[in-house]
Amino acid sequence: MIESVGASLVYEDHGREVFACRDVSLSVRPGEFLGILGPSGSGKSSLLYLLSGLKTPSFGAVLYDERDLASMSDEERSRLRRREFGFVFQQPYLLGYLTALENAFVGEPTSARRDEALDLLDRLGLGAKAHRQPHELSGGERQRVCVARALLGEPRVIFADEPTASLDHTNGLQVVGMLNAMRGDGALVMVTHDPSMLERADRVVNLVDGQLVRHGE
Amino acid sequence: MLIAWIVALMNSIPYSVKTVYSYSQYSLGVTPRGDPLMTPRLIETFRKECPVPIERLVVCRGSTTVVKSIVGDWPFVVFGLSPVDLQYFLKKHFTSSIDGRVPRPGSAEAIVSEPVARNLNLKMGDVLLGPDKTDAYSPVPVKIVGIAQSPEWMILTDLEYHKENHFPPIDVFLVFARNREEQSKLDHWAVDRFKGEHTRLFAYHELEKDTNQMFATLYQILNVVILTLVAVIALMMGMLMNIYQSQRLVEFGLLQAIGYTRRQLLVRSLKETSIVIATGWVLGVVVAHLMLRVAYKVLMEPKAWGLDTLDPTAFAYTLIVPSSILLVGFFTVFHRFRKFDPVSVVERRLV
Ligand SMILES: Nc1ncnc2c1ncn2[C@@H]1O[C@H](COP(=O)(O)OP(=O)(O)OP(=O)(O)O)[C@@H](O)[C@H]1O
Ligand SMILES: [Mg+2]
Repeated sequence: MIESVGASLVYEDHGREVFACRDVSLSVRPGEFLGILGPSGSGKSSLLYLLSGLKTPSFGAVLYDERDLASMSDEERSRLRRREFGFVFQQPYLLGYLTALENAFVGEPTSARRDEALDLLDRLGLGAKAHRQPHELSGGERQRVCVARALLGEPRVIFADEPTASLDHTNGLQVVGMLNAMRGDGALVMVTHDPSMLERADRVVNLVDGQLVRHGE
Repeated sequence: MLIAWIVALMNSIPYSVKTVYSYSQYSLGVTPRGDPLMTPRLIETFRKECPVPIERLVVCRGSTTVVKSIVGDWPFVVFGLSPVDLQYFLKKHFTSSIDGRVPRPGSAEAIVSEPVARNLNLKMGDVLLGPDKTDAYSPVPVKIVGIAQSPEWMILTDLEYHKENHFPPIDVFLVFARNREEQSKLDHWAVDRFKGEHTRLFAYHELEKDTNQMFATLYQILNVVILTLVAVIALMMGMLMNIYQSQRLVEFGLLQAIGYTRRQLLVRSLKETSIVIATGWVLGVVVAHLMLRVAYKVLMEPKAWGLDTLDPTAFAYTLIVPSSILLVGFFTVFHRFRKFDPVSVVERRLV
């Protein structure tokens, strides 16, 4: 479904080239839970941005259903991210002037999505707090709103970048469990430095200094 | 708002000129220059050659006094009219009623219109002209015996009194057409016909032209001042918009990351900018208008000064500010969006 072919991402750092990802060839299969494990600074986030089209590889290519993401227009990539992908970021970013519910369906503000978002929040245990402002929620609750936002519209792939980083271990496990349980037929690509979060993963790849070290397949 | 103020107040000066001397729209004043014996000949010419019907030709006397304006004293004419002409003059200038009475033939009495009374703070029985007044001189004290209810500015005395007491002893005359269009035709014809002759004509359109010319320079200075002001304000507001947009960038980054297109966000941002600016402008204009009205009521109306609180040029001037802010705002928005990476937001490199 998603396939990176020798993809590299190079940052310019004071005139020096820094390879955040180097020659990564990896595929994401439909419906699987793929874990990407690596220490801080190993290029996990960068790889996630490459796979989701938020960044364009400096070398190599990333294909989505055999189409090169780099050849798509900004509009097309945006549509993909909106309709086919879901995102949970490291920080539980919510819009401060919207309620939890409104944040959950901000990606597609229609009444049908509103009902869906309400249902999702309910299943995430936030039904009673759907109309609160983000500042009235705890960190874990905020991250669960983000999970609802990512799950909205039954995306084909959910990308999660250390979704547990701002939470304690128990809360972290709970969020990961919910993500995994509620993703339906969608694939889940999750990046973390904590192996215990990937216990239920179908597959785990290791990333060291931007390069894949394969095992556990 | 400030700009609406300045412009409206500036405009009030020529506007006042036109209000104060508005009476001259309904007649053409003619005075012979140098030779008082010319008057009958001039009248003859008018009677014979005038292209529009003359409603009435009033031979009278005129001297000057002053009225108060925002920018100091302005000369104003004191007419000396025969009793019948005085009645006609009052009626022609929309007098609806008279408090008191008209001056008696030969006596030192005057009738003024309501705006004049207000401007000079005069009541019935007050002395309008007198031997001790340099600007409003008369060898005998002239008392006000009547106040005419009319929007036009008028100071009228009796012809006999005027002949005996005022200089220069020259018969002048006023030529009235039937209505304003014909008057304007008559005025233009006369100005043309008597060019180079020893006559002085007082036509409203000439007054208007002179006033406009007089204020042209002033307006140029005003323009420079306003442009500078606008530039400063626009720059300041532009910077504020910039800060505001920077804060919104986090939001936009997130929205872009989860699938909003750059264009959608750009449109949204521009729309918001426009709404904010438009609202600000409307509020500013309304407040400025209200304040001008207060200023008019408190400061200007007691002196019967003119002020157009809905002055269109003043409000046109205020448009410069929001348009330039809009321009600066749009520019910053475009600039920000051009090289903007949502990843830097979700990675928390900003904020
Ligand atoms: N914008 C950038 N400019 C220069 N170097 C960058 C930039 N972004 C990332 N890097 C570098 O690329 C490498 C990989 O960064 P990345 O954010 O992908 O790491 P990570 O595995 O997600 O780390 P963490 O677990 O701490 O989030 C790091 O060495 C980092 O310094
Ligand atoms: Mg990271």
